This record gives sequence, C-alpha cells and structure tokens, in this order.
Amino acid sequence: MKLSLRVWILIIALLLAILAIAPWSSLKKGVLVEGVESGSPALEAGIKSGMIILGVDGKKIENIQDYSKVISEKSRLNGSQKTIFETSEGEFIVFSNESIGVTVSSLPKSNIKTGLDLSGGSRAIIKAKDRELTSSDVNDLVQILENRFNAFGIADVTISPVSDLDGANFVLVEIAGATPQDLKNLISQQGKFEAKIGNETVFIGGEKDIASVCRNDATCAGIESCSQASDGTHFCNFRFSIYLSEAAAKRHAEITSELTVNATPQGNYLSEKLDLYLDDNLVDSLLISEGLKGRETTQISISGSGQGGDRQEAITNSEDEMHNLQTILITGSLPYQLEVVKLDSLSPSLGREFTRNIVVLGLLVFVIISVLLFVKYRKMKITLAVILTMLSEATLTLGIAALISWNLDAPSIAGIIVGMGTGVNDQIVIIDESVSNKRITLKERIKRALFIIFGAFFTIVAAMLPLFWVGAGMLKGFALTTIISVTVGILITRPAFADIIKKIEE
Amino acid sequence: MTRVRIPARALLKMETQETKKNFSRWYDENYKKILILPLILLVISLAYLVYFYKDNGDFIHKDVSLSGGTSITVQNVTQEQVDSVLRQEFPDVSFTKISDLASGREIALIIETAASPEEIVPAIENILGFALTDENSTVEFTGSSLSNSFYKQLIIALIISFVLMSIVIFVLFKSFVPSIAVIFAAFADIVIPLAFLDILGVKISAAGIAAFLMLIGYSVDTDILLTSRALKSSEDSLNERIYRAFKTGIFMTLTALVAVLPAFFLVTGLPHSFRQIFLILSVGLFVDILNTWLTNASIIKWYANKKGIK
Repeated sequence: MKLSLRVWILIIALLLAILAIAPWSSLKKGVLVEGVESGSPALEAGIKSGMIILGVDGKKIENIQDYSKVISEKSRLNGSQKTIFETSEGEFIVFSNESIGVTVSSLPKSNIKTGLDLSGGSRAIIKAKDRELTSSDVNDLVQILENRFNAFGIADVTISPVSDLDGANFVLVEIAGATPQDLKNLISQQGKFEAKIGNETVFIGGEKDIASVCRNDATCAGIESCSQASDGTHFCNFRFSIYLSEAAAKRHAEITSELTVNATPQGNYLSEKLDLYLDDNLVDSLLISEGLKGRETTQISISGSGQGGDRQEAITNSEDEMHNLQTILITGSLPYQLEVVKLDSLSPSLGREFTRNIVVLGLLVFVIISVLLFVKYRKMKITLAVILTMLSEATLTLGIAALISWNLDAPSIAGIIVGMGTGVNDQIVIIDESVSNKRITLKERIKRALFIIFGAFFTIVAAMLPLFWVGAGMLKGFALTTIISVTVGILITRPAFADIIKKIEE
Repeated sequence: MTRVRIPARALLKMETQETKKNFSRWYDENYKKILILPLILLVISLAYLVYFYKDNGDFIHKDVSLSGGTSITVQNVTQEQVDSVLRQEFPDVSFTKISDLASGREIALIIETAASPEEIVPAIENILGFALTDENSTVEFTGSSLSNSFYKQLIIALIISFVLMSIVIFVLFKSFVPSIAVIFAAFADIVIPLAFLDILGVKISAAGIAAFLMLIGYSVDTDILLTSRALKSSEDSLNERIYRAFKTGIFMTLTALVAVLPAFFLVTGLPHSFRQIFLILSVGLFVDILNTWLTNASIIKWYANKKGIK
C-alpha cells in the first residue's frame, strides 16, 4: 500500500514525539544528583546537580535503595571519610567529616514531567506587603530567594516571576518532593538581622558584614544542651560561630572602646550588651566580656533555643531554628516585607494515587470510546483508524509537552483528554461526511467536513486563549495542552486521517 | 400453504421510513413550538441566577481557591472522625470524600474552611492525634487578596472567551441570524449549567471556571455542524439534512459525554480540579444537546424557510 505524504508526516511526527518522551529512560540505572549544598564537600569535589551517580566506592548503584544503603553504611563510621563517586561525567573523590551534601532522586522514567499536584511538592505565590512589585523588584527578589534556598540546602526549587491580567507581579516558588520545614518563614521572612550595642548597629546579616557562618561543623555549630521546664516542655540551646568582615570588626572595636566595665560576681563585663534583633524583635542579648573592649573581634558566637513536647522534638526544632538563622545571616534581608498569598504543600503519596487513577480513567475512556465507535460503524478498519489517530494525538501532545519541559498537572491532563474528545468528534464528522451524501464528490465532502473541523478548532482556541494570562498562570496548563492537542489534530492527524478514510472508502 | 416472508430488516426499514415521514410532518408543524421548551429552561435559569445573586452577592458558590481559605486533604480519615468537633470551632467547614477507584474504599477527606492553615491544622491534629505531614496530607492555602483578583480575572477571561468565540462564529458564517443562533445556544450552555450547579450547591473552583471557558469552545462544534449542513443546499430536504446533522452530532456529544462522565461518576479518587472540570463539561454537554437540537435547529429551520433554502 502506498502511503500519502500526509500519512508519512504523521508517522515521522510520531517517531519524533516518542523520541522526545523517551519512554526507555526507565531502563537506565543510577541515581540523579538533585542538588549539591553550597560549601559542602561534594561541591568542592566538583559534583554538580544533574549528574548521574552510577557507583559509590566501587559498588554499583542501580537505584535509590542501593544508594541510601551504601551511604547509610558509611555514615555509621566515624571520622574523616573518603568516598569515590562514579558518575556519568567521570570519577569524583569526596573527603568529608559529616554530611557529603548531595541530595539524590530516582532517575525520571521518561521525559514527561508531572505537575506538583501529581508528583507532590510545595508551591507558593508571594507578593510585597503594602506595595506593588515592579518587574525589576521581582527579578531582584527571585535572585535573593534563590540564594536563600541555596544556602538552606534546597536545590530542586524553581523560582520564577509571574504576572496576571491586572499587571500585578508575583514570585512563584515551586519545590518538588518533600515540603521543607518552615517553608513559609523561609520565603516570606524578611530576615532583617541586626546586632546592636546600645543604639548603634555593629553588623547586619548578609555578606557585607559577615564573612562566613559556621555550619555542618560540630566544632563551631550545634546543639549545646537540653533541659526540661517545669511545665514539661523541653528546651534545647544551639550555638554557632560567625566570622565578621574587617569593617564590621572595626566597628565593633570603635563602639566597645567607649563602654565602661562593670564588675559582676560572674566576672567583668562591658556596660552594654550585644543585642541581636531579627525583624525588629530582640532574639538574644549577649554579655561582652571585659577582654573584648576596643578589640577588633572577628569571631562572634550566636545562640538561641528551640522547644518541643519531647526531647527529640526540641532538638529538631532548635536545629531548624539554627538553620533558619544561619540562612538569614548568610543571605541578608529582603528589601521589604512579603506576603504569602498562596501556599500549597501537596502530598506525594496522594499525588501517586491520583496519577494511578488518571491512568486507569484514561484507559477506561479509551475502551468505552472504541466500543462505541465499533458499535456505531461496525467496521474494524474505521474503528481502528479512529483509535490510532486518538492515540497519535495524545502521543504528539505528550511529546510536545516533554519537548518544552511542561509540567503536566491535573488540569493539563484533563486538557489532553478533552483534546482527544474533540479529535474523535472531528473524525466522526469526516466519516459521516464521507460515507453519506454520495451525490457530491468525495473531495467536496471532505472539504465540507474540514470546514466544520476548522470552525470547531478556531472556536476552542479562541475560548481557551484568555486562560494564558489569568491568575499568575495557574491554569495555563489546561489551556496549553488543549490548544496543543487540537492544533496537532488539525495540522497532522486530521489530514492524515482524511487520507486514510479516502483509502478505506475507495 | 405458502407464506410470504418479509425479512425483518426490510420490515424495520419500512417502519422507520414511515416514522421518519410522520416525524418530518410533525416537525414542520411544530418546530417553532419546540423552541419554547429550552427558552423556558433558560428563563428559569436566569431568574434563579438573579435570585441567587440577591441572596449570596454572587452568581456561584465559590470554593476556597476563589474565596480565600484553606483546603486540606487528609489521607485515611473519615468525616465522622472530625466533623462535629471541627464544626464547633470552624462553623464554615465543609467536607468532601475521596474514594479509591477499584475498591470504593475512602482514601482521603477534603476539609475546606476560610480559616488559615495556622488555625485549622493544629485543630485537626488535636482531633486526630497525629501530625499532618506532606506524606499524609495536602494543604492548600489561597489568600483572599489573590483569590479575589483570581476570580475577577477569570470572569474577565470568560467574557473575552465568549466574545472571541462570537467573532469566530461571525467570520465563519458571515450571516447574522445563523451566527446569533449559535452564540445564543452557547450562552444558554453556560447559563443553564451554572444555575443547575448552584441548585446542587456545588462549590466552583478556579479550574471549574476554566471548564466553563472550555465549554464555550467545546459546545459550539455541533452547532457549526448543524448550521453548515442545514444551510448548504443539496438534493436532500432541509429536514433530511437537519436529521443527518443530528445523527452525527448526537453521536459526537455522546462520545464526548462518555469521555467525561466516568471521571465524575466512576472515579472519585481524582484531583479536585480534574473532577470539577469533568463535572462541568458533562452538565454542559448534556444541556448542549437541548440547545443545539431544539433551540438552534428550530432557529435555523425558521431562517432557512424564510430565505427559501430548500
């Protein structure tokens, strides 16, 4: 059988789509490096996110279970460790004391990415409190937030500026996988950190005044002590060192040189304390010992506490507090107060359940439509042709989604299913036009069918178009997949289908 | 004894031709009267919407994505466990169950309230006796400032969508009455389902309004089919052409309905947005059968008769 040009175009497009989706990815072995913590041993060794770990210390890594087994075995050993990572981009040797600083995930099964509502994760939309963000504000904010997440050790985060029909600007933060503890604070806390003696500011958070912050090193950061209060709650104190820049150290010397010394039973201290403020709230007050008067001190110890219902909770909470404070000290404050206008944390396990059900539903719809078509036309050839084009359309749409790295959320998939529905409708029009009314030529009949199909195409595109600009792009996926699916229908599958029907009719 | 045997199939054909002729005659006499039925439905719907607006200050029941608030989906929890206690503290709280497709087992419960997560999450944790983590629950919060502007924009989008669709229809048909007939049917396709959902008390989400936009585009294809077939003269009679369009069109709507109905009736273990889109499309497509084959068909027949299109 000789295939027409249009059918060839369909076949080639399908091959390209399958290439874009790459369903064979699930056969690949290894784990994907999702993120590398800044300042971590792994980063120093040259490991970057996106690499694929194939082996650790000569042991083959096929999946995430293999990886966590090897790593947890290593972490039980004390002292400095040497770890050899075999990756897709060569070998890396990491020397580490504690955490290596790599987060990994399973390799994706294909290039199709699912949205947060199906894969789990968290999403936030933020805007400035009591002011409108300009687009340059938004870009700055994206930068600052990226630094903050980086310093916090969350790598798999997308931060992007979005705007809506009213011209209002927002920042959209999307994090795949588990929701970080205290996410709301992380994104919306202004994080204005000030250390004052009396009314004078000694230093503030950010790289200008703070040269470095001790993290992940038990010798200068960690939980100091825990205790239980009379009401049963547990408290834990944390302490970590920070190192001031030269300018900040000088300022410290100038201010302390003017203070007097008070003698107390515990020792001699300066007349004023070093007060630490976070977003204008006093978080700690440190006594300054006599020896520091007028000295250019670069190392300062910051302490604080966390509480919880039991000891473990208190430890976790104070570790979170410490982590949060360290992040703010490193990245500095945001230029204005922020307001979280949307905050979703979506369960990965519920997402898996949803994905499974959508797949079942898709198959169900597919079978029902096939049966219905067969009952109506009673011709295997026609039924098969419709089913094949329906499948092609879904494949082509998924291929384009994979190609543009679109995250398919639930509305997007609804769009694909509806797109398949319009596809079937159009094919019914072509079949009915071509088999009936034989007094006019087949060519004319197909032309009439195409008039209806193009009309339906333009109305659905016109109807869905406005969704692109609504509400910070939350419903863009729905419009996008619908439009892609009806467009591939009209450009690729419908012409091919018309040719196939012509063949069957002849 | 010889018997004359008429094949059953031929008999059926004779009967259907007879019925067809009778129906055609009846249709010629009554097609204007048929118009009244969908019109009454539309007027009742409009009246209900006005009444609803007076009562609620809006045309729909908005869910928390449009009114602001928190929606929490907790796994393996039943409504009985939390309902009464939660209602004391949060009187506006509402529940939706999610069940598994295969077993019918309740897999999760959706709890909605205007309160913020900071208020309601601890209350739920207190009742259940365990913490809500991202492994066992999904928490979605929409601030009222965002939801208000979101809602406003969606309404604007709906209007733009309708206008764009109308322009496409006018360009397509280039004549006034047939175009207006299609646009009128599309209008009814939105208004009647809207009133219906209000009566059912369905809370409409952002995805739901997006589904109305889609309905605008999705429902007019049968109208285009009808109009283009009816107005392109051929040797068949007008009734014959309308009937043929009906046969094709009703099958189109039927396949579309079977594509969207299972999502609502068989499967409840689906994302809320997904279910809502499919619910609205099913109701809309169902209503579209009336609006296309009663309203639009009658107007087109009327118009064709006036214009002398045979």
